[in-house]
Amino acid sequence: MFKRTFSLLLGVLAASVWLGTAAHGQASQVVQCEKCHGSRDFMVGRAGGPQDSALYVPAAILQDTRHSGLRCPDCHRGYEAGYPHRVATRVVPCQTCHENAGRDWEASIHATNAVSQGDAPNCVRCHGTHVVVGVADRRSPTHPLNVAALCGSCHADPRITGTYFATASKAQARTAVAQFHKTVHGNALTRDGLIVSATCNDCHGAHKVLPADSAASSVNRRNIPATCGTCHVGVAEVYERSAHGVAYRSGQKNIQGHEAPVCVDCHSAHGIVRADQPQWLLGVVAECGACHERLYETYFETYHGKVTRLGFTLAATCSDCHTAHDMRPASDSRSSVFPSNLVATCARCHPAANENFARYRPHGDPKDRAKDPQLFWAWLFMTTLLFGVLTFFGAHTILWLTRVAIDRVRGGRGAGHPPHAGVPEPPGTEP
Amino acid sequence: MTQHTLDAAGRGERLYLWRFTPLQRTLHALVIVSFLGLVLTGLPLRFAYAPWARVLVRAVGGLEAAGVIHRLCAIITFGYFLTHVGSLIYRKLRGTPWKRILWGPDSMVPQPKDLRDLIAMFKWFLGRGPRPQFDRYSYMEKFDYLGVFWGVAIIGSSGLLLWFPEFFAKFLPGWAFNVATIIHGDEALLAMSFIFTIHFFNVHLRPEKFPIDLVIFTGRATVDYLKEEHPLEYDRRREAGALEGLVAPPVSRLAYLWSIALGFASLGLGVLVIVLVLWAVLH
Repeated sequence: MFKRTFSLLLGVLAASVWLGTAAHGQASQVVQCEKCHGSRDFMVGRAGGPQDSALYVPAAILQDTRHSGLRCPDCHRGYEAGYPHRVATRVVPCQTCHENAGRDWEASIHATNAVSQGDAPNCVRCHGTHVVVGVADRRSPTHPLNVAALCGSCHADPRITGTYFATASKAQARTAVAQFHKTVHGNALTRDGLIVSATCNDCHGAHKVLPADSAASSVNRRNIPATCGTCHVGVAEVYERSAHGVAYRSGQKNIQGHEAPVCVDCHSAHGIVRADQPQWLLGVVAECGACHERLYETYFETYHGKVTRLGFTLAATCSDCHTAHDMRPASDSRSSVFPSNLVATCARCHPAANENFARYRPHGDPKDRAKDPQLFWAWLFMTTLLFGVLTFFGAHTILWLTRVAIDRVRGGRGAGHPPHAGVPEPPGTEP
Repeated sequence: MTQHTLDAAGRGERLYLWRFTPLQRTLHALVIVSFLGLVLTGLPLRFAYAPWARVLVRAVGGLEAAGVIHRLCAIITFGYFLTHVGSLIYRKLRGTPWKRILWGPDSMVPQPKDLRDLIAMFKWFLGRGPRPQFDRYSYMEKFDYLGVFWGVAIIGSSGLLLWFPEFFAKFLPGWAFNVATIIHGDEALLAMSFIFTIHFFNVHLRPEKFPIDLVIFTGRATVDYLKEEHPLEYDRRREAGALEGLVAPPVSRLAYLWSIALGFASLGLGVLVIVLVLWAVLH
């Protein structure tokens, strides 16, 4: 019994000694690194060291970072005593610990380009070397308020964008960062300091960044509603049920061969503006009109369209009647333009609207006799009258002018008229 | 007195006769001011797609100001229209029978002679006859006058529809507002095209009168002018011994300058509008 207890105690003691030695070994190694790398004088100053500020890394640098529990040899392997080091230390790959992030990054366009071009970002390019802090830390380059500048350090650099986005189809990527800063998400971040606003990684992903033409990309057309819907939950729900959402899910195309619009087709990718800004209120009609061509033309024949074209933001545009995201065909009883819903839709701007009022033709087409006979006949009558009167009196005028010209050539200035016409008489001729 | 030679109505012997009453001249000035106001504020809407449309809107003080000016000028228009109709009724009450207001040489109503004059005019254009002689109003003046009547009625009523759609929807179907938009815009286009080319030519710019005829502004014209433009009226009045009563003093320098200013400003704006319309249509 005693023997067993003794042997156990001995074992524990041995283990403690071993562990203690190991711990002491690491600690002493840090102390050893610190001797040179913790000395600013030696590393940077004139004490005979390498004079390289990058090599001045006091152990305290890891305090208050995500890596505060780590010690130099956890990342820097292959240390060899003595200075100068005969063998360079080897940095352990980050994915040794950060498996998921590493795997995602390896699948990204950044990793692909890192291999082929050598200048795409790796872990330390975005996260830093020793001061690796979490995204919630204001100091982190990956903090929401810093991300646009971080991505912009390459994506707003003409040297880099000129190389990677050289083709015409990628031309807009060259100005994406600059555009982002002027628009709703960028304004919310940089002007209003709102960290909940979307920044680069919210749409493009942090590690698995892929170009939009890649099916797995979060910004591929097929994935856009889900990506935007991550934040815009309510809008995504409504969109899913709308004519556009239904057609998008079924992959149905319109007669021009266009796919149903997703978020970015109306709101653009990087140039998203607030929906209450004149730029949006006046510009959205063109977005809808890009597909709905005839409705676009006829809209501009109406008062709503004309004043909108002149910059008036209170007149109805597409979304005022058709809603912004819940648009449905007029045959759908839930549509804002379903016949029995029209009065309520008009009344949103015209409170006194009644059944008669709602029979206004907001896309009336005078050239379409079958659809708008009253408009057609009114247009035909007015056009005939206009051309009739102007042609008749135009001829009257031209013939008159010709007659006077002929008479004057033949018979002098006053020919055909009493003598005074058009001729200033000399002074003193009055009676 | 030779400084009056810009004015066709002031050429010839300096014996002036009254032609238009102060009320008629005032109403015509109101027609000019309100019509130009309506045209300049309505044109950008009619040709909203034209490159100059936004510039013109800014020039008149913005879109909302344009709307206010347009409606103010519409009120002036209804005002002169009703005043004129009232003046006709007043003439009747003062003893002029309807027969003389609505028929005869002093009436604005087209009569068989006007058709004969029109045909004779075309014959003269083609060198097939003498130039017809007009009485107090030529068929062109009657057409201008009735054009305003028709225009105010048509543009005015369609404009009221568009001004108060919720009220008129109580008894009119919604498509009436589409029709009103077409009629309002096209009739306005006809009115401005006619006034700023044909009326301008007939009254001011034709070689016999160029560059301006101020009779509607100063109210008086020389005997020579009357003999040329309205010989039948001159003869009729002379035979009736009515010329004495029509003799007017020469126009004052101030009235003359005002007339010149209003006349040329209107001519200039009118021609500018025609340029803008052509620009928009041919663009």
